[in-house]
Formats: sequence, structure tokens, C-alpha cells
Amino acid sequence: MRKYWWKYLGVALIVYSFTVGLLVPLKPGIYSYDPGSMNTGQTYTLSVTGYNTFYTKAKDPIRVWLKYDSIHNIVATKVKILDDRKLEASFQIPKYLPTNDRVGVMSLIVDDDHDGFAVMPSTIFIKQDSLDKNTQLGSVSWTQSKIQGIHGKDQFNFPFRVQLSETIRNLYYHVPFWFAMFIIFIAGISQSIQYLRTGNQEYDYKSMSFTMVGTIFGIIGLFTGMIWAKDTWGTYWSWQEVKMNMTAIALLIYLSYFILRQSFDDDERRAKISAVYSIFAFGAMIALLYVVPRMVSSLHPGSGGNPALGADDLDNSMRMVFYPAIIGWTLFGVWMTSLVYRMQVVRDKLYDL
Amino acid sequence: MKKSFSVLLSLLFLMQNNLIAQSDNQDFMRSIGKMYVVYGVIVVIFIVLVIFLIYLDRRLTKLENQIN
Amino acid sequence: MNLAKEIGILLQKEIKIEWRQKHAIGGILLYVISTIFVVYSAIKSVDPNVWNALFWIVILFASVNALVKSFIQENSSRQLYYYTLANPTAIILAKIIYNSGLLLLLSLLSYGAFILFAGNPVKDIGQFFAAIFLGSLGFSITFTFIAAISAKANNSATLMAILSFPLVIPIILTLLKLSANALRLMQDTAIWKDILTLLAIDLLMIAMAFILFPFLWRD
Repeated sequence: MRKYWWKYLGVALIVYSFTVGLLVPLKPGIYSYDPGSMNTGQTYTLSVTGYNTFYTKAKDPIRVWLKYDSIHNIVATKVKILDDRKLEASFQIPKYLPTNDRVGVMSLIVDDDHDGFAVMPSTIFIKQDSLDKNTQLGSVSWTQSKIQGIHGKDQFNFPFRVQLSETIRNLYYHVPFWFAMFIIFIAGISQSIQYLRTGNQEYDYKSMSFTMVGTIFGIIGLFTGMIWAKDTWGTYWSWQEVKMNMTAIALLIYLSYFILRQSFDDDERRAKISAVYSIFAFGAMIALLYVVPRMVSSLHPGSGGNPALGADDLDNSMRMVFYPAIIGWTLFGVWMTSLVYRMQVVRDKLYDL
Repeated sequence: MKKSFSVLLSLLFLMQNNLIAQSDNQDFMRSIGKMYVVYGVIVVIFIVLVIFLIYLDRRLTKLENQIN
Repeated sequence: MNLAKEIGILLQKEIKIEWRQKHAIGGILLYVISTIFVVYSAIKSVDPNVWNALFWIVILFASVNALVKSFIQENSSRQLYYYTLANPTAIILAKIIYNSGLLLLLSLLSYGAFILFAGNPVKDIGQFFAAIFLGSLGFSITFTFIAAISAKANNSATLMAILSFPLVIPIILTLLKLSANALRLMQDTAIWKDILTLLAIDLLMIAMAFILFPFLWRD
């Protein structure tokens, strides 16, 4: 039992990431709205579709705002609830925008006491045909209502993003494999270095096992990423996407490592030369990590203008599942490694007899 | 063993069909909420791990044959 | 015997061997010219983008072909003899210096052939030569080291390509960007950063080769 605790821990963490990651609902949000653009000085009925919302269960009247900036906004004159997920909000758009621009971009805010508030940032365009030379007038009509008394809900929810919706959960089933892969590859390299220092065959087997499991995790990461990419970016494989191509190259390097291993008969020679190659290849990988991000812009989070998950989306509720998933899969990978390694040792003993 | 497997498979297909019938969206994978993308990702993880198990199994079989 | 002197002697030996096998380098040049000829008779139009990609692809394959024999031209008993005489650091350094020179020569000759057959779209000749120089240095380090590895394994030629192509991708990506800038296909004001990157990669690779080569050689 004492020997196995880390394996159980790994499995427990993975089970935790699956159950919590799949069962916790997303935050109520705004899924769609219509129309997307309006003109000044007219009345509109905006139909809003919510996600995970229960509009009929709201006790207080639901309030809907169009927000321009921190002080300029208008409130819906009438809100009609159609069902749990649909409502219609009537807006009387003022004659002028609060600015002298032709077009103003509004955020849509829906607030009710059952679901809390939901924001759809910078989505609705309001056009004005004639500019208001006397800016005060436009400004005043937009400051009649204040956004206050917002219902904040402190439930354990994952954030809602329209482009991602439920696929935001893939953060727990795609990204941890990269982290685990890197940890496992680094472990493999350290075993290679140990081999070159000591010449002990054990280390070669360990390094080979780590590399194999790291490659498996890389393949999982690539395929899960491809499915997610097809949904979010529209293609399975994007040549614009550097992280994806970088991983493909890294996997190529490690696949050629296994081809190299195949071409030796002598154990010691194989061990030594594949250790040398894997360390040299790791150096090239570091170069790759440094070079490739400078080449083209990435679709992945962290670079401009992508519709995917950004750093601000990784809130505390997601961290509580994401980090355990990384640790869990790393431990699971070490378990897989130990199986491959032990089999290799047994095989070695058997052939020596 | 084989029979139970086929029953399970047909059950799965039945479930799938029901789910497709329920979703009003034409594009199944992008139907509202897109939970099926998550489902696909988890299936991929499972499949790769099963392939790893099959590999281990075959290596072990070879070793057993060596002993006998 | 100090290192510099040792390297000098080893370089002389390399050049002598090369001189005796003049057909080898002639064959590579023939390969370069026939590739250019085939591609340009197939696509006819001379687009600078194609020129850029084609130039580096030709250089890449020519380099692999030229360097694959680095460690197999000497048979194992003669290698054992070298081992007793020379320091592994001197050997790898001499090989890398020699191969860099060879690749530089090869690249310049290919460039000449390209000008002859496909025109010269290069706008910034200094930058282009910097790319050629750093490129042949990087290629020679990587390919020399991989040649040493694949010489230890038995099926050398195919293994060489499999092992080395993924490893030169960072170098070739930077080179493509650098020469695209020299051809004015793109404008980057901070191109010196890419030159520095290339230099850093070359340094990293040469450091790895230094540390790891003695393990290969002692085998």
C-alpha cells in the first residue's frame, strides 16, 4: 500500500478532474441576441437568448442595459420574459450617441436575482446619422439610469464564453497533457544524462520509458487539440498555429529517436548513442521553443485577437480543477513509465538467462 | 462476451441517434453548448490509452511465450 | 600538442581527402544545378517567394548529401588510430570548421547557379550573405554531429535524414525569414534580432556537440 500511494493519488486526481470538470455547470450567460446593430432615435425590441439561465424563476423584475462606458448607459424600458432562456427587452435609443463618433459599441448586460448578472462585452453597434454638435445633449440622455444593485452570485461555476461554451471544459482534458508531457520529457532527459555519467543500463531503460510515455501524451495532446481546434478555429490543422506545429516537430524528433533505437543490435551502443541523440535533440527543441513563437502570430491564448481562452479566463474555479489534472496526469504518466520500464527489465533478465 | 459487446454497441448507437434527434441544430458537433466536443476529446484520451494497453499486453504475451 | 595545432593538422587531412575525391563535390554541384533546372522548367515563372524557398531547400538537401560521409569515409580501424592520436574536441571542431567551409563554398556556388538560371531577386546582398554564412555554420554543426551518430548506427544515409531534418527546422525557419527580408518580401526593422537568434542557436548547438561528442567517440 505504501508503495502505491502516488498511483492512487494520481488516479484520484484524474477522477476528481473528470467529475468536477464535467459536472460543475457554466455560469449563466448571454448566448445570442438580435438585432446586432441599431440606429439612434428609434425604438427596438432586442430578443436575448440566455445560456444556463432561469429567467422565469427570477423574483425581482429582470433589468437589461446597453452600456457604453462607466457612466453612459441606457436601461430597457420594458422586459418581457418568454421562457427560461428567452426574453425581449425594449429600448428607446436616444437621439444622439454620447460621443461624436458615427458608431458606438455597446455592451449588453442582463441582471436577475436568480442567475446573477451576465455581460456580453462590446457587441451591439449603434449608428447615428447626424452628429450632435452640442455634445452635452447626447451625454445627458445616456446618464439617466445607473447600473446598480447588480446581483453577484458566488456559486461554483466555470466561466461562460460564447465561442467556447461547454468546450471550455477541454482545458482539463487537453492542456494538462502538454504540461505532463514536458515534465515527463525533462525526466527522460535527466535519465539520459545519468546514463552518460554512470553507464548503468537501468538509466537507459528509464529514459526510453519516459520518452515513450511523453510521446504518447504528446499524441493525445495533438489529437484532442485537433478536435477542439476544428470546433473553435474551423480547421483540424492550422499552419498559422505555432504551438501545434512546434509539437508536431517535437514529436517527429522523438519518433526519430525510436527509429534510431531500432537500428542497433548492441545494447550498450544503443543506450549510449540514443542518450547522446536525445540530449542533442533536447537542445534543438529549446532552440525551437525560442525561435518559433517569433515567426508568426499564434491562435493560442496569449497572443492578440484570438477567439479562444485567454489568461483572464482561467479563474479560480478553473484552477481548482486544472492544476490537480496536471499533477494527476503526470503521476499517471509516471505509472505508465514504470510499467514499460519494469517490462524492459524483465525482458532483459529473460534474454540474459 | 461477444454478445454483450454487441448489445452495448447497439445501445450506444441508439443513444447517439436519440441525442441527434433531440438537437435542433444541423451541425451536431456545434449544437448548442457544444458538449459533444468535450465528449470527443475524452474519447480520444481513452482510445490512446487503450492502444497503449494493447501494446503492453502484446509485449507481455511475447515475454510469457519466452518463459514457456 | 596544443589544440589549435591539432585542429590545423586535422583540417589539412580533411582537405587532402576531399581533394582526392573531387568527384564528390562535383556531384553535389551537379545535383544543385539539375534541381534548379527541373524546377524552373516545370514552373517557368520566377517568383521571389519560390526562389527563396527553393534556394534553401536545395541548400538543405545538398548539405545533407555533402556531409553524410563525414564520419564514414574513414574505416573503423583508422578511426581507432585517430582516437589514440587526437583529442575528440579537436576532431569535432576540425570537422565542423571544415564542413562549414565546404557548405559555404557550396552555398555560394549554388547562389551563382541560381543567378545564372533563375535571376537574382536579392535586394540586400549583405543580409543575404549573413544568412548564407550563419546558415552553413548551423547546418554544418547539426549535420556533422548527426553524421557522427548515424555513422555509429549501420544504415547511415536514411537515418541521417530522419534524425537531422527535425533538428534543423529552427535554423531553417530563421534563415527563411532572414533571406525573405533580404529579398524584400517582408520588412522587418528588427532583423538583427533574428541574426542574433541564429547566432545563439549555432552557439547552443556547438556547445552541445562539444559536450556530447567525446561520449560518441569513445564508443
